[in-house]
Amino acid sequence: MTLPSLLRKMPPFMPVLIILICMFALNGLAEPNSLSPYALKGLISTYLALMFLSVGQTIVIFAADIDLSVGAILGLVNVTLVSMMQVLGGEPAGIFAAMAIALAVGAGCGLLNGILVVVLRLQAIVATFGTSVLFLGLALWIMPVAGTPAPRLFWRTFGGRIAGIPFAYFVLAGLLVLIVLLSRSRFVPRLLTVGDDQLAAYQTGLPVQSIRVRGYVACGIFAALAGFCITGDTASGDPNVGGLITLNSVAAAVLGGAALSGGVGTLFGSVLGSLVIGLVGSLVFFLGTPSEWQNLVQGLTVLAALMVGILFGGKARA
Amino acid sequence: MPQLTMTDMYKAYGATVALKSGQIALHPGELHVIMGANGSGKSTLCKILAGSVKPDGGRIELNGKEITISGPKAARDLGVSIFYQELSLSKNRSVAENILARDLPCRAGFVDRKAVLARAEKVFAPFRDVAGDDFDLKTRVGDLRPDQRQLVEIAKTFAGGARIFIFDEPTSALDRAQTEAFFRELDRRKAEGASIVFISHRMEEVFEIGDRVTVIRDGETVSSAPLAETTRDRIVAEMVGGETGASVFADPPAAPVPGPEKLRVQGLTSRRLRDVSFTLHAGEVLGLGGLHGQGQSDLLRALFGLEPLDGTLTLDGAPITLPSPRRAIRQGFGYISGDRQSDGAISGRSIFENVVPIHLFKTRAFFVNHATLSAEVDRVLAILATRHGGRMAPISSLSGGNQQKVIISRWLMDETGVLLLDDPTKGIDLATKLELFALIRSLADKGMAILLYSSEDAELLANSDRILVFNNGAVVQELQGNDRTRTQLTRAAFEAA
Repeated sequence: MTLPSLLRKMPPFMPVLIILICMFALNGLAEPNSLSPYALKGLISTYLALMFLSVGQTIVIFAADIDLSVGAILGLVNVTLVSMMQVLGGEPAGIFAAMAIALAVGAGCGLLNGILVVVLRLQAIVATFGTSVLFLGLALWIMPVAGTPAPRLFWRTFGGRIAGIPFAYFVLAGLLVLIVLLSRSRFVPRLLTVGDDQLAAYQTGLPVQSIRVRGYVACGIFAALAGFCITGDTASGDPNVGGLITLNSVAAAVLGGAALSGGVGTLFGSVLGSLVIGLVGSLVFFLGTPSEWQNLVQGLTVLAALMVGILFGGKARA
Repeated sequence: MPQLTMTDMYKAYGATVALKSGQIALHPGELHVIMGANGSGKSTLCKILAGSVKPDGGRIELNGKEITISGPKAARDLGVSIFYQELSLSKNRSVAENILARDLPCRAGFVDRKAVLARAEKVFAPFRDVAGDDFDLKTRVGDLRPDQRQLVEIAKTFAGGARIFIFDEPTSALDRAQTEAFFRELDRRKAEGASIVFISHRMEEVFEIGDRVTVIRDGETVSSAPLAETTRDRIVAEMVGGETGASVFADPPAAPVPGPEKLRVQGLTSRRLRDVSFTLHAGEVLGLGGLHGQGQSDLLRALFGLEPLDGTLTLDGAPITLPSPRRAIRQGFGYISGDRQSDGAISGRSIFENVVPIHLFKTRAFFVNHATLSAEVDRVLAILATRHGGRMAPISSLSGGNQQKVIISRWLMDETGVLLLDDPTKGIDLATKLELFALIRSLADKGMAILLYSSEDAELLANSDRILVFNNGAVVQELQGNDRTRTQLTRAAFEAA
């Protein structure tokens, strides 16, 4: 078997898997303790939010759309969840009710994006940037000052263990199951068909508009799930928690093999891409980079990882 | 009783009437051929039936009941399936997923991969033996050869329980064995009671498989008869119509004394072109004819370095290569497209800025003298009698015809040897069209060699000294002298290569 045909046969997340293994190895070399179970648990629970977010982002990218408001949705969900839990009380019933409301908020944000981009045909980049400002404004209205604590039960569960296994691992397993189910459903192939060539999909008789809107709604739901993770991780409400995470979700999706032009990629690849971004951060830390250089080195490393991924992926498709 | 009838179908795009009075009646178990020259409205009629064009008037009846078709999805739900030339495949999906894209088999909400393969296998079975050894249902469509892709598109059209199938030039990339396998499948579907609409650019093919033929001319159905009761000559005559002199365009020009040989093309082959050879003389307008999309635009784009090509090119006796538009421009080629918005006008910028770019590129000067340049721009705009409100007015303030004049001016600032005109008068009013063609002729008289493609046969006939007729990427005939008539042009357009 020749190299090009081998490259073509491999799953699209192979390059990012190789990069991920390299990043683990580099981390291990720089700081052996970084591979300890404790450190791994920390890594997973910190980056669960990014994983959910980049899976949501990948869903819209599949259809050649983009959502620059995922970080803002995450922040809005975070403050909604914390506020509602405060109102409804820290008992399990109140927590679940608050989670249901926050999930609906996420889905609603996604629906709004979908309507603006798909039905009213605004440019996806501009429209979702606009809604991100709107969502941030809403979050600041709900919680003007950061720091309202989440109920103890909520973050203790997220940070704790069940039968000796960290809860974060159960969440990760849940995410992976969700990915498998989604990938096997009709939804993902249809999104990819739409992203590949919208006109072709329309002429095939697919309901292109409804597929794209549903993509945005699914993205909003994943952003809400990411909001749950960040609430569990930080144990408090902060309307500005979204910050840089939106562009990281795009970078993770691209690292994972998704093409911004649509039609290509896997959800699993984006999970691996999120981990690579997380490991870049910890590598920079373990190498003892002076704090003023950390952003620069982190940026360069993500760029390098992106280029390696594109070199591999580009060859495979050439 | 007909399965489906379309009566008095009407469709206009702005002032252009694409379909005036389209009629067709489809009977189950019949293969119905639609014939028509360029712009006759045959594709519009099919697109209305497939739901991708909304009619402005007319009545469609399915099994005796009036229906409206709101979109491609609605058409498929009514049992109408159309073949698109390469247009409806997603290249990153597998063959099997593409064939069943509309309705992936599912079990309990999840895509049943085994069923996808099994069902695609079944739909593709009639073409399995002719698809080639390397063909696999799991291959990405983007990795297939053009003929394999076309077979996949055909299989996709047949997938699902449609009762009416529309094929618009489905055999252009297929070899003989593949075409025969496709015809056998058509016969089988006919036997099952399906109605088939077939548009072809090969007269032979039409008589080989057709049961009935409907001829459309200028947006109107002229005749509909069983093929057994008609002849090739009658079909051609009906496509052309009686009134050849009714056109505002004059008769073909008297052939000029040919100047020295300017461009010689030998064995030119590209993605779309097959072994095209011809010579072009200075002072000559060489027309490119045939049905739409048979390679005419591809030839012009290839000669402007926009598409990779194989073959030998000789310009003024010296061999040349055209790897890029930059090189083509330096060699003295000029290209003018009818798609002004995408390929010509620099929209939002001034007339001045739209005239100078080729000159600036050719002179390689770093500094420009604005006054000399302005004088030059005024000079070329005056040659063309361009009506404009000052050279600093935005190009979008001009009418389509005047925009095209500005774009032609670009190539007159410096010497252009070979002018490539790719349907240059698309969407331009009649009076300006006549002006433009007078201008094109005057350029030829000054010694320019011109290749002209026009989607309107009347324009082509009235302005070309010779006409190369294209069919499926190859030149099938060259029309000269008194052979430049509508009848000859239409007959040649349906001639197989």
